Amino acid sequence: MSMDAVFIEGKRKYIFCSDEHGLRVLSSVFENVKKEKLAYEWYHFSAEKRECLEEFLSKQKMGTFLYVELPYSELHTVQMMAKRIGFSSDETQYFGYGEKWISIFCCRCHELNRAEEQQTGLTCHQCELKLEVSDHYSELYHAFLGYPATG
Amino acid sequence: MKWTGDLAHFPYPFKGSTYRYSNNSIPMKQPYCIEVTSSYKKEMLFKRKLLSDHPERCYQSLPHSITGQWEIVEIVIDHLVSQYPQDFSIEQENNRWIFTNKILDEKKEFIFGEKNSLPCEPLFFISQHVQEDLIYMRQRDDNLYLDAGQLCFPANWSLAFNIGMKFKSIHHPIPGFKEEGLDQRILQFLMRLEAGTPWERLNWSLMAGDRLDTSLETFNQWGRLRKQVTSENAGELVHIRVEVQKLFRLPRTNSILFSIHTHLLALEQLATNIEWLQQFYEILSELPDHIVEYKGISTYKKAVLKYLEKQLQQVKTL
Repeated sequence: MSMDAVFIEGKRKYIFCSDEHGLRVLSSVFENVKKEKLAYEWYHFSAEKRECLEEFLSKQKMGTFLYVELPYSELHTVQMMAKRIGFSSDETQYFGYGEKWISIFCCRCHELNRAEEQQTGLTCHQCELKLEVSDHYSELYHAFLGYPATG
Repeated sequence: MKWTGDLAHFPYPFKGSTYRYSNNSIPMKQPYCIEVTSSYKKEMLFKRKLLSDHPERCYQSLPHSITGQWEIVEIVIDHLVSQYPQDFSIEQENNRWIFTNKILDEKKEFIFGEKNSLPCEPLFFISQHVQEDLIYMRQRDDNLYLDAGQLCFPANWSLAFNIGMKFKSIHHPIPGFKEEGLDQRILQFLMRLEAGTPWERLNWSLMAGDRLDTSLETFNQWGRLRKQVTSENAGELVHIRVEVQKLFRLPRTNSILFSIHTHLLALEQLATNIEWLQQFYEILSELPDHIVEYKGISTYKKAVLKYLEKQLQQVKTL
C-alpha cells in the first residue's frame, strides 16, 4: 500500500470506495478523473453496506480501476473481497487509516486476536492460551500464527 | 500407536552418518498413493473419531477444490482396488460408482462428480478409507497452493492455519529452508512433477509419546511429555516418527496429491537393529542445533543420546 493515490490512465471506469473520513488520499485522483471527464462512481462505505459492496463490485466490467480508502479494521475485508471477485493488484489501490493492529491466529482454538504491531506475546481471549507471536503469516486470515508460549 | 509390524518393513529413513534438509525425493517403485498396514482398522476408527470430533482441525477446503477432490477420489479408489483387490472393490456404471470396503464392511454408492451424492465433500469421504493424510496442492500462477486437505496426524502444524497458503509460506517456519534456497528448488521440482511418474520421500522427527495426532492445536496435551524424558525411560517413551510422503500429479486439474502415511517406532524397538542404533546415534550426535530445535528435540536430546550410548555399550559387551 503506497501513501499517495496515483492516477492510472486509460481505464474504462474508476471506482472510489471510502467512508466519510477517508476522502483525504483519494481527492486528488478524483479531481483528475472529473477534470478528464472519465467515467466514475463513488461507493460510500459503511459497515452496514459491506455486503452490498460485494454485489456492486461483482457487477463491474473489465477495465474498471478500484481505489479504496478505509480504516485498517475494514480494509483487509474489502481487499479480500475484491481479490475474490477478480480485481488484480494492477487494478486496485488501497489506503488505510486509523489505528493499525495485527491479527494473531490462536494455534489451539483458531480465534483471531487483535494485537499491536510490535507485540510479542498475548493471551487468547477465547481459550486463554498464552501465545507467542510468530512471523508465520496467512494471507487468507490476514493474521500471524500464535504458538504456545514456552516461557 | 506403536509399530506392530515386522521391523524389516519399517520405513527407516537414514542413509549415511549425517542428516541435513534436502530434497530427498525418489521415483516410486510401486506407484500407489496408499498403503494398508496391519493397524488399518484401529487407525481408521481413530481417524474417523478425530474427523467427527474435530472437523475444523482435521479437514479444510476451499470452494474451488471440488473438481480436484474428485480426482483424488478416483486415484485413491483406483490404487486401493489395484493394490488390495481382496479388500476393496469398485463397480462403475457410467458415473454411478459403488465402492466397497470389505475390511470395514461398508458399501457406498455415489454419482462420480456430483457433490450432492455424498454426505460430505469428496476428499472428506475418501479420507475415511485410508490411513494416509491427504493434501491437495493446486498449481496456478507459477505456484502451489494448499487448497484442501485432510490432516489427522500432523507433525506439529495446523492445517486450519495453512489452508490457502503458497508452498513457500507453508514452509516459512523451517529454519534455513529459505536461506539455503531449498524452498525454491523444491517448489520448482514439484511444479515439474509429471502425471504417471510419482515420487516419494521420507521425513522424520522424534517425539515423546506415541500419539499419531500431534497437531499444533493439541500441543499442550502432548508437548509436556518432552520434559518427562530421561535416559531410563527414553527407550519406551521416545519414538521416531517417520512420514512416508508421496507425490502424484493430478492431470485434469494440474494439481498435486500429497499423501502422508505416519509411522511410529519406539527407540527400544529401533535399538534392536544394531546398525540402526549405531547410525541413529551418530546422526543425532551430529545434528545441527537449528534442526534439533525445529524438530522439538532440544529438551530431551541429551537423555536420548545417553540412552542410545547405553544400548551401544550393552551391544559391545555381549
